[in-house]
Amino acid sequence: MSTQTLLPEGFSGLEPFVTGWALAGSAARAGRRGASTPEERAAFHAAAAGELPRALDYLDAKGFAAFDDADERLMNLMLSLGHVALAVEQQKDAEPRHARDRAHMHITRTPAGA
Amino acid sequence: MNSPTTFTPVGQDELDWLGTDPVPTRPYYDPEWFELEREAVFRRSWQQIGHVCELPENGSFIRRELEVLGASLLITRGKDGEVRAFHNVCTHRGTILVDEEAGKRSTFSCPYHMWTFGLDGGLISAPDFEAFHVTKAECALPQVACEVVGGLIFVHFGKPESSLREWLGPYANKLEMMPVARATTFSEYVYDINANWKLTYDNFQENYHLRFIHPSAAGPVTSPDNPFAYPTAYDFHGPHRSQRIWTKPDMDPPTGVQAMAFQRGAVCAMSDGILGTETAKDYLGLFPNFFLFGSPMQHFSHTVYPIAADKSRGVIRLYWIGEDETPSERFAREYFMATARDVHTEDRAVIERGHKGLASGALEYLHFQTQESLCRHLFNMVSERVEAYRAEKEGVPA
Repeated sequence: MSTQTLLPEGFSGLEPFVTGWALAGSAARAGRRGASTPEERAAFHAAAAGELPRALDYLDAKGFAAFDDADERLMNLMLSLGHVALAVEQQKDAEPRHARDRAHMHITRTPAGA
Repeated sequence: MNSPTTFTPVGQDELDWLGTDPVPTRPYYDPEWFELEREAVFRRSWQQIGHVCELPENGSFIRRELEVLGASLLITRGKDGEVRAFHNVCTHRGTILVDEEAGKRSTFSCPYHMWTFGLDGGLISAPDFEAFHVTKAECALPQVACEVVGGLIFVHFGKPESSLREWLGPYANKLEMMPVARATTFSEYVYDINANWKLTYDNFQENYHLRFIHPSAAGPVTSPDNPFAYPTAYDFHGPHRSQRIWTKPDMDPPTGVQAMAFQRGAVCAMSDGILGTETAKDYLGLFPNFFLFGSPMQHFSHTVYPIAADKSRGVIRLYWIGEDETPSERFAREYFMATARDVHTEDRAVIERGHKGLASGALEYLHFQTQESLCRHLFNMVSERVEAYRAEKEGVPA
């Protein structure tokens, strides 16, 4: 697959984050946050947070039924951003300790697919 | 600039009837006391164990384990649409009937000798049944009392003294008004904890700890006139209790990704017609071990299942109306679930510390202040039941 098709047109700036963060499943996304380094989180959040409104508007306009693989990856990327934003915007320096305790809270079901 | 409100906490005079004495610690860790609670509290109370959205069609079933009573339950939606609960135990020789956690079937066959039961619990067929000395009617699955209020499924392992609705009193109507009554799906996370169920539950019915244990989440919701974010009201009905959550009138608006989640989530909640409802600030604690928070955006339930005197399991669900209709809705739901999970994470860690300290036997008593009265109420309710049961067993008046 060529890198141009990883994400929908207009979102190519986020392609470096696809491999690490465009994960299927809420538990996998939460787990990725827990296993990430502060540098990874900061880089992803800095690149993606400003794109969130535009990404959601684009995906809403398309609708789930018309999603292709690139759309699905963008969706999963934004869902991972939600988890990472909690670390970057809310927990901040407490995140490493928080991650250790959070591992006890097992996500078993979500409408997006656990 | 004037402060928008002056908060007045609930006064001790309103709560004097609960008592003010120190509370003995032993019931929070003693295995003998826990053995009494199994019978006095859990076999004699309605217990919340699921939601009707888990049984979407006739033939849907779920299996639920209730360790506190050593029970496995099979809950079905029959051909007639009725929700029923049975012991998940084959009536031939006691084998656990169903292994799957959930599914859809018209019959359930025991793997051991192929006794086959219907959704109504009746024995449909059994190989060479003529060689037995019993009728099929006598071999139906043992039924457990099961009733639904507000979409929530409750079971009772004993002989209920009243219907679920009577037992819940005014809280039944509140449940019916809350989004949970219309929920069709949910997000769920589960934790195991090395702590007594009451100690675990108590953490979630007092706000005194919020600013210390949840500095990130509690900071924006406290103010100089309510530095502990105490509730505006308490309410009690029989063994149940509730609080009305206070919200800071001049709260700073959220920023960043959080702001986007709230904005998108609010649009969805508005289209579901659950914004601004009367029950939005109600936080119900239904005896013995169930919470439901009325917040439309983070409408969560929390059940603390006892496993042993020093072990419990928490199941938290955020109930939603409809599947994810838009990517924005999916984003908001995942964010809200992750936010609640962050907060509960902080609780879990400190509760385990509490149990370890109490179980050391170092303290004979613990102390509840006025704004921890819901914890005191739970202790009183459990204590009354355990003492009555003990007296009943020993044949002396309580």
